[in-house]
Amino acid sequence: MKFIHKKIPEDINITKRHPLSNLAHLLGMVIIIGVIGFVLLGVTADLISRWISPEMEAKIGNSLLTMVSDNEIKDDKRIKYLTELIYSLPKKDEEIRLPLKLHLIESDVVNAFVIAGGHIFIHTALLKTVESENELAFVLAHELGHFQERHPINGLGRGIIFMLVANILNFGTHVNVPDILSLGSELYLMNYSRKQETAADLYALERIINRYGHGGHTMQFFKRLEKDEAEGNLVKVSEYFSTHPRSKERIERLMLEAEKQTWKMQGDATSVSNI
Amino acid sequence: MDVSSFYIFLLLLILGYAIGSYLERRHYKSIQQREHETLHVPIITIGAKQAMPNAEEAQLFVGTVVISVDYFKRFSAALRNLVGGRITVYETLLDRGRREALLRMKIEAIEWGADKVMNVRIETATIGGRSGNNNSLGSIEVIAYGTGIK
Ligand SMILES: [Zn+2]
Repeated sequence: MKFIHKKIPEDINITKRHPLSNLAHLLGMVIIIGVIGFVLLGVTADLISRWISPEMEAKIGNSLLTMVSDNEIKDDKRIKYLTELIYSLPKKDEEIRLPLKLHLIESDVVNAFVIAGGHIFIHTALLKTVESENELAFVLAHELGHFQERHPINGLGRGIIFMLVANILNFGTHVNVPDILSLGSELYLMNYSRKQETAADLYALERIINRYGHGGHTMQFFKRLEKDEAEGNLVKVSEYFSTHPRSKERIERLMLEAEKQTWKMQGDATSVSNI
Repeated sequence: MDVSSFYIFLLLLILGYAIGSYLERRHYKSIQQREHETLHVPIITIGAKQAMPNAEEAQLFVGTVVISVDYFKRFSAALRNLVGGRITVYETLLDRGRREALLRMKIEAIEWGADKVMNVRIETATIGGRSGNNNSLGSIEVIAYGTGIK
């Protein structure tokens, strides 16, 4: 046997494919499958949460309560005032899904939010920031809008399903779910919550018009918050803005709706009592 | 994940691709040149169950190399893990590893004066990556060994 010198051929063990086109192909595939998956999961979560009865939601709300209510103020006349205010907001024929429970929290951070089961949380800093009852009522009506539209319980359903799926993917592939997937889900959820915020805002403005006869002295609150933030008071208000859209686009959208419905947007402020 | 960590991810991806493919091209050039230079010494796999040819001297030669996966390759492979199929980005990595390990073994044998390297075997191992929680970049080690004779 004689040894013959030969140049070693390339491309035997290497697929001729540009790495970037390979990546583009993969990304395309994963994004398409991912989008379809997220939409399906979202629909499933909504279907599941629709099956949750009010009694069940009340139970879920009570179990969540233990996680959030630190520094809660009990037996305060402000709670009675706020409860009366929020119950004065719905229309006459409107049914409130569950009895509302107002929780007043001692905190320097301006915030208001609602969780499943009809628990509405108001921080004391919010009460110090509002300059009229109209402003306060708008914030309360917005949170009530979230509750009436079932946003907290739907959000919970989505959160649980997405977490489950992420865990399954994580376990199955032995690598962390690529960052792009978690980013995708976050963008998707952000868009979803934006829709919710618009719905809650429109709900709120309609109730305010109904209650006070005009929409004046409602949105100044958001402008003030934003000014506060611009002046470096970031920590105080960032929590509210982390769950709510920026004031400018919010106000613009509401003004547009008011124009369409020919709602009066000017009027006298009602002063806040008992605070 | 916020926006800034997305930019960091993107930066790592671009850096991984740019530097990784530059180094890969350079490595291939060097591999091809050294393969050409050492073409006169055959490396063959026979010898384990066949009689070795008569030789004055025989010695074991080992060539090893460790190559790391770059961020771009790892990301592509992670996506591939989701949908299945050939991980083409790792093919060049393993190809470079095998050829580099063989070359190192061969060059050492040539310096010793071998006119053949027989019974050549190649093995690979992964190091650096943890199974299960695989968040760190993995590397591969390729070991080539054979018996040089003269
Ligand atoms: Zn909201």
